[in-house]
Amino acid sequence: MKPIWQAAGAALRPLVLPAILLLAWQWASGRGASAAYVFVPLEQLWTGLQELLADGTLALHVAASLERALTGLVCGALLGIATGALMAQSRVAERLVGPLYHTVRQVPLLGLVPLIALWAGSGEFAKLLIIGIAAFYPTVLNTFEGMRQVDVRYREVGAMLTLTRAQTFRRVLLPAALPDIITGVTHAQVFAWLACLGGELLFAAAPGIGALLLTSEQNGRMDVVLLSVLVISLLALVLNLLFTRVARLLVRGRSA
Amino acid sequence: MPVPPFSQRRRLVGLSAALMPVLLSATKVRAAELLPSALRIAAVSRTGPSGKTLFAGSSALVQEQGWLAAELGKLGVKLQWVPVTTNSVAVQVNEAFANKSIDFAQYGDLPSIIANASGLRTQLVVPGGSMNNTYLVVPADSNARSIKDLKGKKIALHRGRPWEFPFSRLLAANGMTHKDVRILNLNPQAGASAVASGSADAFFTLSDAFLLEDKRVGKIIWSSKAAPQDWKMRAELWGDSAFLQKHPRLAQLVATAYVKAHQSVVGENGRENYIRHEVAAGQSRSLVEREWEGDNTDWNTRWAPLFTPELRAHYAAGAAYARQARLIGRPLDTSKLYAPQFVEQALAQLKLQNLWASR
Amino acid sequence: MNPGVLSAGARGLGLAEHARKVAQPGRPESPAPAQATRPRPARSLVERWLDWRWSAWTSPLLVLALWVAATEQALAPEQILVPPWQVLVSGWELAESGELGEHVWISLSRLLSGFGFGSVLGVAFGLAVGLSSRLDAYTAPTFQVLRQIPSVALIPLFILVFGIGETFKVVIVAKASFFIVALAVHDAVKNLPVRYLEVAAMLRFSRLQVIRRVVLPAIVPATLTGVRIALGRSWMVLVGAELLAAEDGLGQMMEMARQMFRLDVVMVGVMLTGVIGLVLDRSFRLLEGYLMRWQRR
Repeated sequence: MKPIWQAAGAALRPLVLPAILLLAWQWASGRGASAAYVFVPLEQLWTGLQELLADGTLALHVAASLERALTGLVCGALLGIATGALMAQSRVAERLVGPLYHTVRQVPLLGLVPLIALWAGSGEFAKLLIIGIAAFYPTVLNTFEGMRQVDVRYREVGAMLTLTRAQTFRRVLLPAALPDIITGVTHAQVFAWLACLGGELLFAAAPGIGALLLTSEQNGRMDVVLLSVLVISLLALVLNLLFTRVARLLVRGRSA
Repeated sequence: MPVPPFSQRRRLVGLSAALMPVLLSATKVRAAELLPSALRIAAVSRTGPSGKTLFAGSSALVQEQGWLAAELGKLGVKLQWVPVTTNSVAVQVNEAFANKSIDFAQYGDLPSIIANASGLRTQLVVPGGSMNNTYLVVPADSNARSIKDLKGKKIALHRGRPWEFPFSRLLAANGMTHKDVRILNLNPQAGASAVASGSADAFFTLSDAFLLEDKRVGKIIWSSKAAPQDWKMRAELWGDSAFLQKHPRLAQLVATAYVKAHQSVVGENGRENYIRHEVAAGQSRSLVEREWEGDNTDWNTRWAPLFTPELRAHYAAGAAYARQARLIGRPLDTSKLYAPQFVEQALAQLKLQNLWASR
Repeated sequence: MNPGVLSAGARGLGLAEHARKVAQPGRPESPAPAQATRPRPARSLVERWLDWRWSAWTSPLLVLALWVAATEQALAPEQILVPPWQVLVSGWELAESGELGEHVWISLSRLLSGFGFGSVLGVAFGLAVGLSSRLDAYTAPTFQVLRQIPSVALIPLFILVFGIGETFKVVIVAKASFFIVALAVHDAVKNLPVRYLEVAAMLRFSRLQVIRRVVLPAIVPATLTGVRIALGRSWMVLVGAELLAAEDGLGQMMEMARQMFRLDVVMVGVMLTGVIGLVLDRSFRLLEGYLMRWQRR
């Protein structure tokens, strides 16, 4: 009896706030043409959504963006891990790369867009480049910190077993720093998705959810604009959850 | 060495004469080997349904006709179309010219002036185009009737884009300068939002103005349809000067292809065909038709690929405006911007000299 | 034994030196090096460079030198590879005309007002949600979804709602900092060691006292970290928003320069945004250090 009510209550609670917001939205959209331009009535949103799903446009753009973001993420993260590892192993590398990394990192990514457009064009490569850079920053930092903080005892064990430098790296440092590296990749994913969106908005036309946002803006289709924003946020949420779950699994498996 | 007898000299001359064509063709082969692997043309594009990139304007026709791709293919050169998003055409094309990633571009007059003033060398190869109209939009509940009512008010205008020049002509015709209004440098989407929310008092743009009218959030109080021809912005085919000098044969092919496209547009069903292309690229049909309704420029004249005195005057005035509005740092001599030889050759080749009799 | 006379072997051991030191007490002696017998190998150039105080400047200076060399060689057209001195000259011109100062001032004031609003609201919201699990249950999913909405995508919507003036930029910055700070505070409250709360219960603190004397001081470190991260992100979001839709400000200066094809001005903007970001970050770390020192006592 009571548990059922409690369970139902617990399930419904998260939906209260969104329901209130939707009602407020519907009310706002009824207040005239100018308001309806931005607070698109919910029915229009619904029909817009059906339209997008029917001709496969949404699926196409979502797939293109995901592909782009993940490619850039993988490239940037791999490079970041390699650089971080190098910096952790070699003081010279750290002294050379560190200052450059810290200065360039301060420039907002979107501010680099004009420079990238000039030096690398406005096509697919430029978008992948900006995603790669966004993924690069957190992975380098996390890999470097992770490796540097590897417990001295592990290193001593390695020295005792007279492992070569490469072997120490592969069998001692890398596994020990893996949790930090994985955290870095998780952070990188968040930035990579944002950079993917920014790239699609600012670089040349190509399939992608950001491009859909732009095109629908140009055609005055505010319903598609809102739907695109919603899809972007939902995808960000899903990606984030996915990566954190996988990260947790991997880390737990490691320390077991 | 004794002087060879007369007959032997003759034989030598004869031999050299016979060898000449071989030598020449050898150098020709050498020159042919220096052809680029791809010829790249940038054109405004939109992502249509099913993700295809569709081009706008005469580039779509050139692509459809396929003649250019075939001719270039015979020379072993690939034709590559480079898509450019409508909301930042000027910037993307100029940057692409700067880093040599395109050879030709179909884009506007003012950006080309800015590019040349900053040191890039491009030249106009094929003039003529759809000659977009420009519109002045105000919020639906505004009381402004003309540009004069907007003195001291905020007007959204994307700077450095070709329609800035018609805007300056509008101001000048009403005795105003750009100091009499507050210009908000916003890209077309932000400008539309600004005027729809009433936080900008006006918005100056292309036919996307109709979208605001359709949504009943804006009303158009001025359009360039009735204005003099040289008020209208131009979007035409420009080419990288170095490329034009190095590969005149390829440039000629491109020019001929575009002249052919112009020819088909002014021909039978040309207009209908053109509208079909624009609609396929994502514009709504009513928008395209309203854009041309009541326009005082003859369809035929728009597409005339002729280097008329009006054209030259237009660019000179554009450069003067750019200097005055501090869009460029140094004054630009526009007489060097033209490469008319390719169009002349194309017209002669296609025997179209009389189609657009020059006035 | 006469300290001055040693066998050859003993001399080799360096005992003579040691003996001399012992024989003359009162002289401050440096600790005997572990391998006094072997002369120390000369430190390699690399090691000397690593120990040099200014070695961190090496790579930026190297990059600068490469840049100058590349422009001398004209490896790329001037529009793409702007000479460094040109950037400096343009920067100087802009600073002189007061334009640069104006843009920087406007951008910074937007940042500070938006960031101020956002962080204060974020702390309040984070506290409320952290302390009350009922409120958390109601708002958490919505919060998570709204948090993910990229600020860049919201710009046209915000312009529609807030107009093109200062409001929408301040709101965008506030939105960015709000979510980050709220999340940090919420996590900090949730991660409070239970012992603290147990002690407070034992001392029979009222709810308000619990908050004021236990929760607030305990969450300060995590909150400060969150606020610092929010500052950095807000700066990025502001520059992005100004790039896309503003009539003044540093981002707008860069965008206009891009439209006018003045890469030198773009570089001035890029460098300045980087420097300002660095200064903000470092100053905040100093502030953090000062406050934390107070905490640690």
